[in-house]
Amino acid sequence: MEKVLLKGNYAIAKAAIKAGCSCYFGYPITPQTEIGEYLSEAMPALGRGYVCAESEVAAINMVMGAVATGVKAMTSSSSCAIGLMQETMSYAASDELPVVLISVMRAGPGLGYIYPAQGDYNQAVTGGGNGDYRTIVLSPSTVQDSIDLTYKAFYLAQKYRNPVILLSDGFLGQMMEPAVLHDYPYDEIDNSSWALTGAKDRGARQIRSLEVNQEKQNAHVYKLFEKYALIEKEEVSYEEENTLDADILLVAFGSMTRNIKAAARKLREKGLKVGTFRPVTLWPFPSKRLLELSETIKNILVVEMNMGQMTKDVKLAVNGNAKVYHFGRPTGKWVNVDEIVQATLNLGGVSYANI
Amino acid sequence: MQTFSIPKSLKENMIYTFCPGCDHGVAIRLIAELLDEFGLKENALTAASVGCSVFLYNFLDVDCVEAPHGRALACATGIKRAQPDKFVFTYQGDGDFASIGLAESTHAAARGEAITTICINNTLYGMTGGQLGPTTVLNQITTTSPHGRNREYHGFPLKMTEHIALCDGTAFAARVSLDSPAAIIKAKKAIKKAFEVQLKGLGFGFVEILSSCPTNWKMNPVESHKHIREELTKVYPLGTFKDLTEGL
Ligand SMILES: Cc1ncc(C[n+]2csc(CCOP(=O)(O)OP(=O)(O)O)c2C)c(N)n1
Repeated sequence: MEKVLLKGNYAIAKAAIKAGCSCYFGYPITPQTEIGEYLSEAMPALGRGYVCAESEVAAINMVMGAVATGVKAMTSSSSCAIGLMQETMSYAASDELPVVLISVMRAGPGLGYIYPAQGDYNQAVTGGGNGDYRTIVLSPSTVQDSIDLTYKAFYLAQKYRNPVILLSDGFLGQMMEPAVLHDYPYDEIDNSSWALTGAKDRGARQIRSLEVNQEKQNAHVYKLFEKYALIEKEEVSYEEENTLDADILLVAFGSMTRNIKAAARKLREKGLKVGTFRPVTLWPFPSKRLLELSETIKNILVVEMNMGQMTKDVKLAVNGNAKVYHFGRPTGKWVNVDEIVQATLNLGGVSYANI
Repeated sequence: MQTFSIPKSLKENMIYTFCPGCDHGVAIRLIAELLDEFGLKENALTAASVGCSVFLYNFLDVDCVEAPHGRALACATGIKRAQPDKFVFTYQGDGDFASIGLAESTHAAARGEAITTICINNTLYGMTGGQLGPTTVLNQITTTSPHGRNREYHGFPLKMTEHIALCDGTAFAARVSLDSPAAIIKAKKAIKKAFEVQLKGLGFGFVEILSSCPTNWKMNPVESHKHIREELTKVYPLGTFKDLTEGL
């Protein structure tokens, strides 16, 4: 298939349509509004559902209602407004509902601004809702990824009956890049055993999280965690380059991956053995692979546009085997390649500047 | 001869979990009777709410998803948009509908969602033990208005049916009570209309039921119904506030 020039947000919207998303519900917020704008034209034209919701609280609950009937549905939003959705994300996790949430990060905390940032790693990965639950989090680094991982978000949500967040950011959402808009590559999942279709020839189904019996509540959470263990076993995804002989590992997620790759090339030219690593799934996190890499690589620089949210997970993963440093800033200016090169050269107070 | 029977839309052998004298039982029975009469049980989907009304799903043999507190009508909107051919309804408390969920409730009505909502107005948050809510009437004592609702201090209660009737998307809006057999018959007629407007695709159907809460009102069941009749209807007059089926 031929490549077309696509803006990140439109790529997500177009992929959602090709994935068979039956309903979209959303409320405007920059830098993701193009998704809702695009779908407001496309969904009704296809006879699918679309509501300009009265709030993000309403939007995510509309998604919950729709997916409970067995169809694919999603909403999209950003940062402070993703915060409004967390109660329902926790419900959806407990109810095992395949909610798909597109989160296109802007700057925070608070209202922040529409500058790109990656400050919602914690919000997505550790979940802002109450109780013991997990959300699958997929992190695109290109417009092509935005397509591929939107497909994967719908697939994994259905496969595991679990909420999935696609964690994009303002850079990726707003930039244009060539990409192939291929077809949805996954099999359809049969959800006839649980979807609400009307109590015909069977007893009524209840999708609920209220459980007054303590033992049942306990058992339910243990059951969820068995599923999470399976997801951790099966679905970890990452991308690494030049790690075999590396002394230094640059780690990033999302749009920052592009810059660590470019920085690593420059550093290799200078003679430094630098590899790169990018988690594609932020949960489940590729902790095992990072631990393996830390057997030989003793210096790790995590580059992210926040104050070190993923850095903490990298530290946990390598368990003291390697020195883990953070480089980045919360927002305002893209952490550029030369800055990353310089930060790497200055790692741990060791100056590689003369090499 | 008419004999008493249990509606088919009710589950068998359920355990009655409401307080003695509470009107929820009668309200749910009316819904079950109408689901039977319209033959809707197998085609109905409901979004449960949070409050005493959540126990609807212990009684009705209807597929249901439990929405967070206040979000039943957003959830129901999602259901209806995904499954336009289903009969979709919500059963909510006044707190759920008119305080935490007022935005979702108002906008579902304004959009004219083909959904039916039955709202139980017991003038307080029942499940949490009887606190002041959006419908608590002036001078009413609750656990968070221990000296009674004071207009200067707490402000005025909200009139749900009048509010919903103002929305252009509302096809039917009525307020009823269940304090006597005659009132129950009227209530059933109103709920029936709220079903019909959905089935005819006319828009949003809404019935507010003034309901007794003997436990939190600290009254016996007979006093509770007298209170509805003699006091609450002064603030919340019974009647139909909007009916698009008129003249059809
Ligand atoms: C977001 C949220 N806030 C508060 C609660 C606690 N809560 C449970 S039921 C309830 C009150 C419900 O009152 P109402 O809707 O009037 O229904 P009733 O119990 O009186 O039938 C509250 C506040 C909750 N479950 N979720």
